[in-house]
Amino acid sequence: MTDFEPKIITFLCNWCSYGAADLAGVSRFQYPPNMRVIRVPCSGRISPKMILAALRKGADGIWVSGCHPGDCHYIEGNYYARRKFTLLKELLEYQGVEPGRIHFSWISSAEGVKFAQVANDVIAEVRKLGPAKHFIKGAPKEIAA
Amino acid sequence: MKILHIDRASWDKGVLASAETYQLTGPVKEKDFYEFKDLKKGEMPDMSGSDTRLSPKALVFPKSEVMITFSTDPNDPECNIMKETKKEYPKRAVIGIRPYDARALQLLKLNFDNGDYQDPYFLKAYDAITFVGLAVNQPSATDFSTSCGTGPFDEKGLDVLLVDAGEEGDYFAKIITPKGEAWAKAAGFTKEAGSDAATRIEGMKKAAEDQIVSTVAFDKIAKKTILELFEADHWESTAFACINCGTCTYACPTCWCFDIQDENFGTKGVRIKNWDSCMTGLFTMHGSGHNPRQYPYQRTRQRFMHKLKYFTDKYDQGIMCVGCGRCVRQCPANIDIREICKTMNK
Amino acid sequence: MIDYTENIRKISGDLLKNGKVDVVIGYKRGTLPGINEPFLAKTPEDAEKLVWDSQCRLNLANYLTGRKENVAIIAKGCDSRNVVTHIVERRVTRDQVTVIGVPCTGMTDKNKVKQLAGGEILELTEKNGKITVKTRKGERSADKSELLQSNCANCLHRNPVINDIPFADPVPEINTARNDDEIKKIEAMNPAERWAFFDDLLSTCTRCYACKNACPLCYCPTCFVDESQPQWVGKGDDPVDVRTYHTLRAFHCAGRCTDCGACEAACPMNIKVRLLTGKLEKSCYERFGWEAGLTTDVRPALDTFTTHDPEEFIK
Repeated sequence: MTDFEPKIITFLCNWCSYGAADLAGVSRFQYPPNMRVIRVPCSGRISPKMILAALRKGADGIWVSGCHPGDCHYIEGNYYARRKFTLLKELLEYQGVEPGRIHFSWISSAEGVKFAQVANDVIAEVRKLGPAKHFIKGAPKEIAA
Repeated sequence: MKILHIDRASWDKGVLASAETYQLTGPVKEKDFYEFKDLKKGEMPDMSGSDTRLSPKALVFPKSEVMITFSTDPNDPECNIMKETKKEYPKRAVIGIRPYDARALQLLKLNFDNGDYQDPYFLKAYDAITFVGLAVNQPSATDFSTSCGTGPFDEKGLDVLLVDAGEEGDYFAKIITPKGEAWAKAAGFTKEAGSDAATRIEGMKKAAEDQIVSTVAFDKIAKKTILELFEADHWESTAFACINCGTCTYACPTCWCFDIQDENFGTKGVRIKNWDSCMTGLFTMHGSGHNPRQYPYQRTRQRFMHKLKYFTDKYDQGIMCVGCGRCVRQCPANIDIREICKTMNK
Repeated sequence: MIDYTENIRKISGDLLKNGKVDVVIGYKRGTLPGINEPFLAKTPEDAEKLVWDSQCRLNLANYLTGRKENVAIIAKGCDSRNVVTHIVERRVTRDQVTVIGVPCTGMTDKNKVKQLAGGEILELTEKNGKITVKTRKGERSADKSELLQSNCANCLHRNPVINDIPFADPVPEINTARNDDEIKKIEAMNPAERWAFFDDLLSTCTRCYACKNACPLCYCPTCFVDESQPQWVGKGDDPVDVRTYHTLRAFHCAGRCTDCGACEAACPMNIKVRLLTGKLEKSCYERFGWEAGLTTDVRPALDTFTTHDPEEFIK
C-alpha cells in the first residue's frame, strides 16, 4: 500500500481555484503530483456525469474547487454547485463510495497557500483509502490481460 | 416415436447424470422470478414455476455479447485487426423450456440463419443445445399460443417433450429427435412408458388447449397492404398509454433486434452485440440527427407492424409472436398485443 | 363515499362537450385484472370509458409533457404535484391545464396484490375499501390499506395541491412526517455493505428504462443514456453501467421527485428504485427544507439557492 500513488481528477474553476493553482506553482509551494487538473469555466458547470465519468475511468479521488460563495465570476454559479454537490456527495456515499474519495473546496486565486494545503490533504486522504474500488468500468474478460 | 416413463426418483438421478456430459440450464428462482440459468454442479432445475420472467432467448442471443476484440496499439502486430472472440459452446441441455418458447427460438433463427446472413454466434449456441421442454398443463389466462401456430404441448422446437404424468412428479418423456435421444441416454432414462402413454398425452394436450381462453386472429392483417395498416388512423390512440420502455421487447422471446457498440479500454477494445429495443428513440436516430420515428406512437406502431405484418410477409411462417403472454402481463401501461392485433385485423 | 368514476366521467364529459378542454387524460379499464390503462378521452363518448380505482399506479402527468392543446387531467395528490412541476419547468402552462383533482387513498402494490392472490389473478374487484381477487383456487380479500404501495403508505400529500374542479372532500392525511426507515437502514451500513446492497438490488435490472419512461420528470429531448459524444454510460449489461444509469437517473430527479412510485410500479423486475430517489428527497428535505411540487411560486431545489446553504463538507 505504501507505493500506492492515487490518481486524483481535479476540476478547477477558471477564475479562482485555477488561479490559486498557478499561484501555488509560482510561489513554489509543494504538493505531490497526484492530481490531473481539468479546467472548467465555473464550479457550476460541473455535472455529476463528469464526476461519474472520472470514477468510471478509474480515478481514485475527485476534487472539485471553485470560488468562495459570493465571489463567483458568474455571480451565483457556485451557489448552485454547492447544492448539487451536497446531494451528489450524499448519493454516492449512500451507495458505498467511501467518504474521503470526493472532495470540494472554495479557493480564491489569492490563496496559493490554501491550494497547496488542500491538495496535500486530499491526496493524503485518498492515499489512505487505497485504490478506488467502485464505479470502475473494467474491460470485459475477453480482453482483460 | 418413443415415449419414456421417468419416475420422481430417477428424474433427479438422471438429470444429474446427464450433467456429466451436458452443461445443464434450467429455470431457477432468482429473487421474485424464475429465469434460465446455468445449473451448478448438483443443482436441479426448478420445474414448479410458471414462465420465466424473461424468455430464454438469452441462451442463443445474450443480452450483451462480445463478438469481436481488437487492438489499436501500433506496436501490436495485430493492430486494427478485428478478431472473432473465441468462445466455448459446450453441449448444453436446456431443461424445462416451455414448448412455445422453444418454438420462438426457431422463429428467431429465421433472422439469424437465412440466405443473406448466418450469425455464427447465434448458430453455434443454438446447435449446441438440446431442448428438453416441459408441457404446460395449466396455461395462463394471458396465454394465446394456440392462436400463434404453437401451443402448450407444441413439439416443433423441442428435442424432448416432458409431460407431467400426474403421479408424484413423474414424467412422460416424448423423444422427438436424435439429439433428444442422446440426452435421454446420457441421463439413463430407458424405461418405456405403457402403451396408453400416447393417448394420455393427447388427452392432456387437449385438456390444456381447451383451457386457453385468449385468442388472436390475424388472417385479415395478412391480406391488407402494409400502407393500409401503417397509415391507419388508430395508432396514436392505440399507442397513447405506451411509455416506450423496453419491457415488452426484452421479455419477448421473438424480439431479436440488436445494437452493435464498440467499447475501448486503452489500446484494446471490444465490439459488443446488445439487445436493442424499437421502443427507444435512439433505435432509428440517424447520424444527421433526423429521426424517422420521432414520435413515441411511431415506435409502438413499428413493434406491432414488425411482429404482425412485416415478419409474416417476409418469412411466411405466421406472426412473430408465440403467444406466451409475457408482454401482456409485464407491460406497465397495459399495452396488450391481443387488443392491437384485433384492431389491426378489423 | 362518493363514486369517483361517476364524477370523473360527468365532469370530463361536460368539459369536452363545452369545449373547455380538447382532451382529458385519465384511465380506462385495463385488459387484465388489477391494471388500468392511461387513456386520452377526446369526445364526450370517450369520457364514458374513464374509470378510477386503486389500480391507477402510473403518474398521468407523464402524459402531459409536450401537449399543445387544452388538457384536463385526472390527478391524484402526487400527479398534481407533478403537474405543478411541469408548470414550474414550463412543460405546460397553467392556463392550458384543468386539474380534476382526486383526493387519493393510495394505490395498491401490484406485488402485494399478487401475493394476496397466491396464484394467477383472474378477477379483481374493489368495494368499500376491500380488494377481492379471484384465482383458480378461490377468492381472497384484504383491506386496501394493507395492500398499499409503500410510497402511498408513507404519503404526505394525498390531496391534490392544485385542483380546478374539486368534486370530493379532501381525505384526511395519514402521515405528518417523512418515513425514511428503509433509507436509514441502508445509511446505517458500512460503505462496503452499502455497495453490495445496491449491487444486489440492481442485479436483475435489464435496462428496459421503464423506471425512467414512467417518470413524469424524464422528458429531456436526449437522455444522457442516449448521448454518444461523450458516451456517459455503456449500453451493455456491465453492472457498473447499470449502476451509473440508476445513479444518474436518480440524480436527474433530485429535488423534483414527488415519490409517486410510478417507477417502481412500472419496473418489470420489482426493483426498489425508490431507494435511490428517496435518498435524494430525504437529503433535499433535511438540507434545504424542500419538498417538490407543492406550489408554482418557487423553483425546484437545484434551480435555486440561499446564501446560507449548508456547506460543512466543503474545505
